[in-house]
Amino acid sequence: MNVAVKYNNIEVGSEMPEYVCDPLTRTHLVRYAGASGDFNPLHYDQTFVRTIGLKNVIAHGMLIMGIVSEAITSWIGLKNLKKFNVRFLNMTEPMDLDDREKTKDRATIIIKGKVVRKFEENGEQKFECDVTAQDALGSKKLSGYFIATLPS
Amino acid sequence: MADKSKLGTEFPSCTFTVEKDKIIEFAVAVAQKENKEQINPIYYDENEARKAGYDGIPAPPTFSVCSFFWTGGGLMGTIKKLGIDLSRLRHREEEYEYFGCIYAGDIITRKMRVTDMIKKGKKERPIEITILETEYINQHGKLVLKSRTKLMEI
Repeated sequence: MNVAVKYNNIEVGSEMPEYVCDPLTRTHLVRYAGASGDFNPLHYDQTFVRTIGLKNVIAHGMLIMGIVSEAITSWIGLKNLKKFNVRFLNMTEPMDLDDREKTKDRATIIIKGKVVRKFEENGEQKFECDVTAQDALGSKKLSGYFIATLPS
Repeated sequence: MADKSKLGTEFPSCTFTVEKDKIIEFAVAVAQKENKEQINPIYYDENEARKAGYDGIPAPPTFSVCSFFWTGGGLMGTIKKLGIDLSRLRHREEEYEYFGCIYAGDIITRKMRVTDMIKKGKKERPIEITILETEYINQHGKLVLKSRTKLMEI
């Protein structure tokens, strides 16, 4: 996959293409648990989460970060990514498959980003971009930034 | 409550092999797909990866987190060693600094240490922060990745 975006085409204030994830299901959480090796029952066992006072299992913060990384690399390419930092905010509950309580919005993560700085470092052209992920109800899941290089 | 005497602790280094199929499994999971044909081909087709400028099949940006769960006792082993209370634990921040790619077939040595332990908040409701820094060094001796994890007990 070749990356079309070039250093000269972005400016401070340029927006990263908005990325909307598929509504998260418990299946997504289980698949990520298996892929990452994070088997904390908080992320898939309804009988466990009830014992700690939660109504539902919650997504791995690192799954949300992974989805954000997918949004970033589909824009700028994996090898151009030099730094990636996130701070985790609110928890994310997956949607219910029967969706009786209109749970799709809480599980749909929208990722946005804005370029805040362009600079040269060690002869490389770099930029810094703030990123946020929030659900369709407006609850913020994480905020952070990344630094990337791009060809002119 | 995190045991402050553990500040500076270096965990025993761990070595792991980056399996090609594990990269696919991870890339499918973060792309929310069901099979490899639906993801970016650089993660399963070596020719496509080379055409895109990689020296092999690269691992996605957050792939290294797997090694945390495969090695050194995983999450439970790590927090037990540091005296962290699981019921109060929150993953607050994660940062990656990339110096090169991790490729399928690489043999990576992972070195993790505790670089900071901070106590904040009020006496009756303390907050403890533990920072873990991890270096990932490949079989050629090159540092390819540094990660920084902020854990918080609330």
